[in-house]
Amino acid sequence: METSFDLLSNAVVSGVLLGGFYAAVTIGVSISFGMLDIVNIAHPAFIILGSYIAYIANATFGIDPILAAVVALPAFYLLGVAVYQIYYLAFERRGEEALRGLAFFFGLLFITEVILVLVFGVDYRLVEAPYIGPTLHVGAVDLPLRLLVPCLVALALVGGLQVFLSRTFLGRAILAVAQDQLALRLMAANPVRIKRIAFGLSIATASLAGAVLIVIQPVEPSIGRDYIGRVFAICVLGGMGSFAGTLVAAMTLGIVESLTATFYGPSWAPAVAFGFLLITLAVRPAGIFGR
Amino acid sequence: MPPTSCGPTLASSLSISGLDAGYGSVRVLHDVSLTVGAGETVALLGTNGNGKSTLLKCVMGIVRPSGGSVIADIDGTRHELIGHSTEAIVELGVGFVPEGRRLFPRLSVTENLLLGAFRRPARPAIARNLEFCFETFPRLKERSRQLAGSMSGGEQQMLALARALMSAPRILLIDEPSVGLAPLLVARTIDKVKELKEGYQLTVLMAEQNFTQAIRIADRGYVIVHGRIEFAGNSAAELNDNELIRQFYLGG
Repeated sequence: METSFDLLSNAVVSGVLLGGFYAAVTIGVSISFGMLDIVNIAHPAFIILGSYIAYIANATFGIDPILAAVVALPAFYLLGVAVYQIYYLAFERRGEEALRGLAFFFGLLFITEVILVLVFGVDYRLVEAPYIGPTLHVGAVDLPLRLLVPCLVALALVGGLQVFLSRTFLGRAILAVAQDQLALRLMAANPVRIKRIAFGLSIATASLAGAVLIVIQPVEPSIGRDYIGRVFAICVLGGMGSFAGTLVAAMTLGIVESLTATFYGPSWAPAVAFGFLLITLAVRPAGIFGR
Repeated sequence: MPPTSCGPTLASSLSISGLDAGYGSVRVLHDVSLTVGAGETVALLGTNGNGKSTLLKCVMGIVRPSGGSVIADIDGTRHELIGHSTEAIVELGVGFVPEGRRLFPRLSVTENLLLGAFRRPARPAIARNLEFCFETFPRLKERSRQLAGSMSGGEQQMLALARALMSAPRILLIDEPSVGLAPLLVARTIDKVKELKEGYQLTVLMAEQNFTQAIRIADRGYVIVHGRIEFAGNSAAELNDNELIRQFYLGG
């Protein structure tokens, strides 16, 4: 019995760590899709771009991948601002964002992927850092640093954004912008500017999420596609626009996947995880923390 | 104690002249001129579809008029409002409580109020203004964590008024505060408008179809019919005695 309990607690812990990583890759979509109603399916491609930036900094200059991602945050923010400006001028301003906007982001996803393939090829790339390899042992529970560090980075990212959104004037305006744009104008805020800033932030998170991804696993250009389904599932499961919901949903999905992988085999993990999503949404259509 | 703004309070006034506006080929306003003097409460009276809302929307930059001018004199500085964006007009110090309230339904009462203070000049006074709002509307304090969308119509109207005040406006435009409220709540809302106006030394332009309630607190009033100002009453008594008003409101 002892060993199966150890197996269980290890599965839960690694599920939580995996969930932290899922939160990092989803948080940007929680902003763009959850708060701004922008269906940015290219988000995983920006994450892969973040992975490659971390890889270049690491392979060329020996810089820590997560530190490199922090340094790259402003560049990713500006990239997001530019992408939103194009999206706004070409689609949103004309009220054509529903279908054409989706096509725009789909195109962006493929273009980013193709550029990465042309520049780096399709080989898997990985980074080196002191926390890739060692494992902490707490009792019978293993805490691989390769998973623990990304989880902590994810928690800091989500926590920092939550404080920003709930404590600052700009943050509260971001929470309000999708609800009523005219009302926001009556608060002396320009909704387009607010959305531009928010979208910039959502793409900035891709820098950190990308670094975290390449710490956890080797990366090749098309790997982002594996995460599109999961990312949007977590966002919806948590409740649109709720960071607490995103965190809880990411952890839940991580634990469910990890338990399934441990006791029934890894190939069942996605099926069980998405089955869980469907059941939850049947019971709570607005998601776990949906308002 | 109601808060007073920092430094000596200068009065603000609004002057609309020759305003023409419409939607497509439909003309809604014809050469409308009216003034709201410093510290006055002026009622814009008329039944549905006569152009009251359009007039207020022109002042706020929500509807672009085809001609005329809107001059706001705010604490001694003159501004032509036409051509400015809505957010720029609010930033100058003109607040607006729109028809239908336009709250942020999925944000809490407190979050709605704090958004009211997004306007930069309003931020230093935020604690004082919040306290004043909660004092004036104790219900909002009780419900501060509740989502705005889940409150009753009367509470929502209170929140809409309070949120506009959080932006520390000098001139406040209110569009039909009585719409959709039970008669008792209408009277209470109108009383609150007066209370807030006095507390903040505001200049108020209020569009309203509930004539009897509106003239209880108005210093003066204009009657708008089919997009034209048909009568300007210099006192509540003058409005009361007016033939047009009788036609409209008393079916005479």
